[in-house]
Amino acid sequence: MSRRDYYGKVKLVAQHLRDEYGFATPRVLRSDLRRIYGAEGIRIDLREGLRKLRGAYFYDAEIGSSVLLQRGLPTEPLIFTMGHELKHHFCDRSEDDTLVSLCSDANVSEAIEIGAEIFAAELIYPDDDFCEELDKRKIGRGQCDAAAIVRLKHDTATTLSYASLAKRATLFGYARDGALEQVRWHRLEQEMYGEPLYKRLLRRRGAIR
Amino acid sequence: MPQGRRLLEHVGERIRELREQYDRGEGLSQEALAKALKTSANTVSRWETATYKPSLDDLEGLARFFGVSILHFFPGEHPSHDQRVRALLRAAEQLPPTEIEELRRYAEYRRARHIFRQGRPRPGRPTKKAV
Repeated sequence: MSRRDYYGKVKLVAQHLRDEYGFATPRVLRSDLRRIYGAEGIRIDLREGLRKLRGAYFYDAEIGSSVLLQRGLPTEPLIFTMGHELKHHFCDRSEDDTLVSLCSDANVSEAIEIGAEIFAAELIYPDDDFCEELDKRKIGRGQCDAAAIVRLKHDTATTLSYASLAKRATLFGYARDGALEQVRWHRLEQEMYGEPLYKRLLRRRGAIR
Repeated sequence: MPQGRRLLEHVGERIRELREQYDRGEGLSQEALAKALKTSANTVSRWETATYKPSLDDLEGLARFFGVSILHFFPGEHPSHDQRVRALLRAAEQLPPTEIEELRRYAEYRRARHIFRQGRPRPGRPTKKAV
């Protein structure tokens, strides 16, 4: 099977899961993914002492499935990593085998890991919905800029990260190559929509300056 | 003797053994161990006599303190022979040593949890004996 076919299949599994669990929007939360984990009997363990390793999937026939997640990951990377590990559960495991799959920046170019990144992105915000949203906003080929991505994220409240949205916009040709690199997304978001509520509350309590 | 009770006694014996052999046989008091683990000497004593069952997190704390694998507390579990742990360490070669160590500990924790659960009575009413 070519890589293209493989990634296509992986996306189909993610779409099927979205349908099965009633994910109708691009805002997939931790609690949504926990439902899948619970139904599949996958244990989640948050562990300290990890920096490079975001998550890992473990399976063997005797113990079953469990996922190790880095404690303290921000919400969006945590959701993405939970989605990523689900790909290993649904697509890479065989019942009588042992599987250990590590998710870090170091092995992100391997096909099995690229597949997991594609799966996680599709599970949170399907490619077709993303393209449809940009088309609805009349953003043509090569016209997508950073502000358009911020507006899209703000309006859809998607839990897919800015980095993933930017990568996707470039991949589908909505943005020119390099146009969405080196963007300080959260600063731009703050310029466009003001300071987020949690920051205002922290400031009021004197927790930040 | 029920399997759970046997396991608990085995765990208690291993804790006592490690405590008594600590620091090249110098040993460590239950109070000192309790202080290091932020628990009470009474609790340590009861772990050792199999009166209390230490939680998995307690066992992990003990394993870290004594520098042994969590599987050390369980009968017949030798981490160096565990192929799964070896496979994991091969897969993790690109990570920093501290994270490989954490992964190894997690793999053993996961296995220990499985063994620990097997020794636990199942929740719910006991079934009636067939007449």
